[in-house]
Amino acid sequence: METQASNKTLHGVLAEFRNPKELLNAAETVNKNGYTDYDTFSPFPIHGMDKAMSLKKSKLGWIVFGHGLFGFFGGLAMITFMSVIDYPLNISGKTLWNVPAWIPVLFELTILFSAFGAVFGMFWLNGLPRFNHPLFNSERFKRATDDGFFLCIEASDPQFETEKVGQLLKNAGASAIEEVYDEEDEA
Amino acid sequence: MATDSPKLTDSVEFPSELNVTKVLFGVGTAGLIASGVGYFLNHEQFFFSWLTSFNYFTSIALGALLLVMIHHITRSSWGVVIRRIIESFSSNLWLWAIFFIPVIIGMTTLYSWTDPSYYIDDPIVAGKQPYLNEPFYIVRAILYFAIWGWLGYKLHKVSIEMDRTNDWGLTTLLRKISAPGILIVALTLAFASFDWLMSLDAHWFSTMFGVYYFAMGFQALFAVLILLAFWLRRRGVLENTISQSHIHDLGSWFWAFTIFYAYIAFSQFLLIYYANISEEVLWFYHRMEGSWIFIGYTLIIGRFLIPFLLLINRDSKHNKKLLTISAVLVLIVHFLEMYWIAMPALHSQGISFSWMDVTTMIGLGGIFLGLFFRTYAKNNLVPVNDPKLSDSLAKSYHQ
Repeated sequence: METQASNKTLHGVLAEFRNPKELLNAAETVNKNGYTDYDTFSPFPIHGMDKAMSLKKSKLGWIVFGHGLFGFFGGLAMITFMSVIDYPLNISGKTLWNVPAWIPVLFELTILFSAFGAVFGMFWLNGLPRFNHPLFNSERFKRATDDGFFLCIEASDPQFETEKVGQLLKNAGASAIEEVYDEEDEA
Repeated sequence: MATDSPKLTDSVEFPSELNVTKVLFGVGTAGLIASGVGYFLNHEQFFFSWLTSFNYFTSIALGALLLVMIHHITRSSWGVVIRRIIESFSSNLWLWAIFFIPVIIGMTTLYSWTDPSYYIDDPIVAGKQPYLNEPFYIVRAILYFAIWGWLGYKLHKVSIEMDRTNDWGLTTLLRKISAPGILIVALTLAFASFDWLMSLDAHWFSTMFGVYYFAMGFQALFAVLILLAFWLRRRGVLENTISQSHIHDLGSWFWAFTIFYAYIAFSQFLLIYYANISEEVLWFYHRMEGSWIFIGYTLIIGRFLIPFLLLINRDSKHNKKLLTISAVLVLIVHFLEMYWIAMPALHSQGISFSWMDVTTMIGLGGIFLGLFFRTYAKNNLVPVNDPKLSDSLAKSYHQ
């Protein structure tokens, strides 16, 4: 860990800030300078951060909507096949297209698939599940769940230059800056 | 937060150049006079039209009364800026009782259970006589309006008093009134709906009918509030006070209670439809017969499907155009639903609109809104000394 071995690749530059306000300002600065591959980390949500980072509205709603539609129409197709086509059964003289009685089932299936869409869609959008993240290599970063406010500009950013990024973050008021490396498996 | 807490920047006085109150009272009076003429031409039609229109507005006013109390008991801050609007609606319930008098006059026309020859051979209706009889019906109606009238008036008055005295201790009083108030109004509202609408068919009963009545009125209330908020903003009243975030909250409530309405209305239908017991199913049978079925489908589409799909996206819950379309649609269908509940008792053969349906709606609607504007314009448009006002003003919409 002392030397920069060749099996380590630079993940990005991590900067720590003293409080949410400074982090918010720093995010704004980084955003204004045209960086795209960066993220902020704080123990709690910060109001206005979405705007400061120019984040777009989450796509999750559309994923949930699609799943809900699938649940509804899939359920409709299922019941129609089962109780109208495959095994028509007369229940207390009601029509085979006994739609009011289907509604609870269709409702439940819509909700079930919407919930699947919400949970698994959230995982997918967040890049989960994964075993590890390079940022966990930083000892300091552990405080992101306690009292640390971090911003990381990733090396994948087209504008990324270690020196320039470090300088930018220092000017933005970072209290500490470190380079984070992605460690390859030794085995 | 405390250092830069937002202050009211708008005038809290109703602009004097807007004389809506007079116009509404004028229109209302004209409608009432026209309806009065209708009484002499066809008193049966008049009473049924009156009952329909009366329930249209009463259900909205009761929704307002419940919303005020929910507001106090949850100590919510989001709606402090629009609370005076809701309070003004419910504060006039004691005066609104006057318009119940025609229902009492027309009781024998409206309700078949008042006719002894009807229930003499009918053991089921005869068994309901201890509850369904004329004196008790009138006593109950007086009791309902006494309770609602007092609660609405008192909650409004205490709130006005807080404007003047700046005594924050009054919020405790408001909460203490609201806690039992919600329970009492929930019960009286349910029984009122049994008396006024359900008993039109003395055989029929649905234990869900009270909730159904509430669900209709509450959904319609949010449609009214949304339209009012847009109207006030267009007139430059409370422009910076009622912000996008408050509109968004109203839109969210509206959407939530659109689903609630559908859930309740459908549950009532499904249980009766599935059990298929003749005593219960007859009410729906009459309302699905002939042309009545068209209103039945209109309810599903106009009151649930269209508003539900239009407002499902988060951004559309503060979209002026979509909210206005949905709100207007719901208010129209709210009438159709009241009509669909009450009118088959008179026109069992099918829909038969009468000009009196329109005049009673205009008459009672003009007076209802006129009373609202009279109360609303007389006082501060916002509870200026409410401890949670700055929280409410600070609400900002964020994605």
